[in-house]
Amino acid sequence: MAFDLTIKFAGEGGEGVISAGDFTMRAATYLGLEVVTFKSFPAEIKGGYALSQVRMSDEKILSQGDGFQILFAFNGEAYEVNKPLLKPGTVLVWDGPEGGDFEPEFDWLEKQGVIAYAVPMSKLAKEEVGAYITKNMVALGAASELFNIPIDVYKQQIISKFSKKGQDVVDLNFKALDAGINWVKNNIKKVDPYRLPERRPQKDVIILEGNEAIALGAAVAGCKVFAAYPITPATTVGNYLSEIILKANGYVYQAEDEISSMAIVIGASFSGVKAMTATSGPGISLMQELIGLASMTEIPCVVVDVQRGGPSTGMPTKHDQADLYAAAIGGHGDGQRIVIAPTNVEENFYLTIEAFNLAERYQCPVLFLTDASLSLRAEAISTPKIKEIQSRLINRPLITKDMDVNLDELLRYKVTDTGISPMLAPEVSPKPYTATGLEHGEDSSPRTRPDVRVMMMEKRFRKLKNIEDENQHLLEWDLGDLQEGEKADISVIAWGLTASITKEAIQRLRKKGYKIAALYPKLLYPVPVKAIEKVASMSDIALVPEANYTGQFARFIRMYTDVKPVQYNIYRGEPFIPAEIEAKIEELVGSKVNA
Amino acid sequence: MSYQFIKLQEKLQPKDYRSNIEPTWCPGCGDFGVVSGLAKVFSEEQFDPTALTLVSGIGCSSRLPLWMNAFGMHTCHGRAIPAAVGARLAKPEIPVVVTAGDGDLFSIGMEHFPHAARKNFDLTVICMDNRMYALTKNQQSPTSRSGYKGSLTPYGNIEEPINTIAFAIACGATFVAQTYSGNPKHEAEILQAAVEHKGFSFVNILSPCPTFNKIDTFQYYKGRTIDINKELGHDPSDYVKAVELASHALDHDKDPNAKVPLGIFLKIEKPTFEDKVLALKQKYGASDNPDWDKILEKYRP
Repeated sequence: MAFDLTIKFAGEGGEGVISAGDFTMRAATYLGLEVVTFKSFPAEIKGGYALSQVRMSDEKILSQGDGFQILFAFNGEAYEVNKPLLKPGTVLVWDGPEGGDFEPEFDWLEKQGVIAYAVPMSKLAKEEVGAYITKNMVALGAASELFNIPIDVYKQQIISKFSKKGQDVVDLNFKALDAGINWVKNNIKKVDPYRLPERRPQKDVIILEGNEAIALGAAVAGCKVFAAYPITPATTVGNYLSEIILKANGYVYQAEDEISSMAIVIGASFSGVKAMTATSGPGISLMQELIGLASMTEIPCVVVDVQRGGPSTGMPTKHDQADLYAAAIGGHGDGQRIVIAPTNVEENFYLTIEAFNLAERYQCPVLFLTDASLSLRAEAISTPKIKEIQSRLINRPLITKDMDVNLDELLRYKVTDTGISPMLAPEVSPKPYTATGLEHGEDSSPRTRPDVRVMMMEKRFRKLKNIEDENQHLLEWDLGDLQEGEKADISVIAWGLTASITKEAIQRLRKKGYKIAALYPKLLYPVPVKAIEKVASMSDIALVPEANYTGQFARFIRMYTDVKPVQYNIYRGEPFIPAEIEAKIEELVGSKVNA
Repeated sequence: MSYQFIKLQEKLQPKDYRSNIEPTWCPGCGDFGVVSGLAKVFSEEQFDPTALTLVSGIGCSSRLPLWMNAFGMHTCHGRAIPAAVGARLAKPEIPVVVTAGDGDLFSIGMEHFPHAARKNFDLTVICMDNRMYALTKNQQSPTSRSGYKGSLTPYGNIEEPINTIAFAIACGATFVAQTYSGNPKHEAEILQAAVEHKGFSFVNILSPCPTFNKIDTFQYYKGRTIDINKELGHDPSDYVKAVELASHALDHDKDPNAKVPLGIFLKIEKPTFEDKVLALKQKYGASDNPDWDKILEKYRP
């Protein structure tokens, strides 16, 4: 059995729960373990329930897991919220026996087989260290001593986070670590089996958070202008990008609103550089008119949507997969768009680059649908080979002044078999044109004649006619050990973060003997009809799990294919856990067998 | 160091800056004067038509880029300024001129104006001010005079107009002027000064609509204008005086003896946004081929 351990820190926002998780994630990575984190906090700066969870393993991890083995409950609310998840054998480290705001029900815990350790985090921080704010460091000291987490990594994290504030702040935090360590040494007899392993050979990895991966991907893809308006949970894409992009000769611009962000992106791309914006649901709503302009003028651009719970302000820090309609068909008129969605942090990086490639190739807006949970999830990924990636970048078919072209025949919106026309940009191209949102002829001058309208509508949509065939790499197949022509028990189609969780569920089910055909499309729109029909044809049931109420992708499947998928929807503001999807599939296949 | 606009070695004629698309404006539209004025200035400035960008939103006036031989963006209603900002961020060596209407700039697009102005983007923003909406057939605009009868205000406009000159100064524009499309010589001079100004320049061009607006006509402006620089000796570097003069810009709406002020109200020097970005890039060693190994280092465990 592979090493697979999940530690969860839960408490009140502002208590250092998130830092405790981040530090622990880095310690695990230092040991050479794979990590996946899951964080959640309220939209307010301080207060409210917050959690930070680190799953670590010596094998590739696909999801945040079903639960945890170790819980650090910083307060009573954290205990209450997590009580239903305390399984036999789990460890509860609680803020006591004195100084905390709660006391667990010991009888119940004992009956349940939960191991409870009391660490007076608040009391030690206040009385021994002299600063309540170091409560989380007391907890980390205790964690280090209890579970063999390398204390040096914690110390290193403290230095890099606090040294700017002065040596006394660093020392204070060290003191808190020691208080936690000493308490455990003197007061706790370890009875649980959980210990982090010894350090193994270091892999060539970097640690990225979801939004950080998008930022790095954009910089590597050659994005020169990033314009955005702050919005949770997309803001940090710009934060992370601002430093890198300046070094790569670009600029992060804080616009006055999302409408202006999108206009800036179009203006920059029109001028010949790659440009991107990042926003969340409400921002996408505001950008729709300009996304339509990018379709009509065939200006490449990348629009990142870090989905959050909606509609309206909804739940700004919570998980949802409900912007697919808005991304794919949210604009007015018939406008062509591409929608792609990553399933994990590594894909946040590589698919951001792919988004630019698609935009440049098809000269249209590409909407990149990630989500709140993925934006905060950290993973250690193989260090990307930047030079190699850059050698594969696609650039728009730009006509330059040094090319031998007949200017009279050079038409920006030339009708071609592929629908893709030559591209012109100021300074580099020999002939100007005006990009207009009005319907226009091949030379870009406004036209409303029926024949021109038909010709241009067909030209623009022709670009995307074969997008599925041309981009098979955006369709991830997982057929397990199914043989050619063999019938599966069930077909599963999942996208976004739900796909990575589904993968883990499917791996477990295959060990139990289930035959499953799975498709994880990264290309969501235009809907990859052939792949969906193919995977659905491999069994009698096609399941589409989605973290939204209406089953947005499932409905697209009904609209564009003959497949009638079974929907499985959650909409509670959290992602699926693998056990839920596992149980759903067992239920569906079981009912099929019984029928 | 700062950015310089791309220019031709030889001068092209004004007609070379006109496209072969015929304007769809009504005969007698004041905006024709703006087209000729701009063509003349571009010729004087020796701008390369393949390295010049005109940006507009929606409205009669906003069709202007289509009539010109230059790169053009005819965008969404009110969004000319941010699209132009995108162009400036992408390629600061390319001159960018925004040609918009009073409704486009000061109603739907109002949020963008103050920010581009205060940040001092090196942009020339031209308001072709006919004091109403023409393309949607005669509604009041933010610059319509009080009492104006439009299709939605049959009993007369109960609003007060925005004083665009005073507003632009308050927003931090570093060049603010007003001219009149019935005076081609003055208009060309002002446009040239605006284009040559390094920083955010705003020119309000009084441009009568002969079809709908029967008050703010060529006839109305004739003999009623005054050149604040030549006739009143206003020095545009005098900010306080500029504010005072601007505060009287709309007096003529109510006072038959008040003049319509034309000329450069304000012209001051401040670093442009683009030059500040350039300075940051130089300071922090920006490069198209940055050291990726070094960048990746900070993500190591």
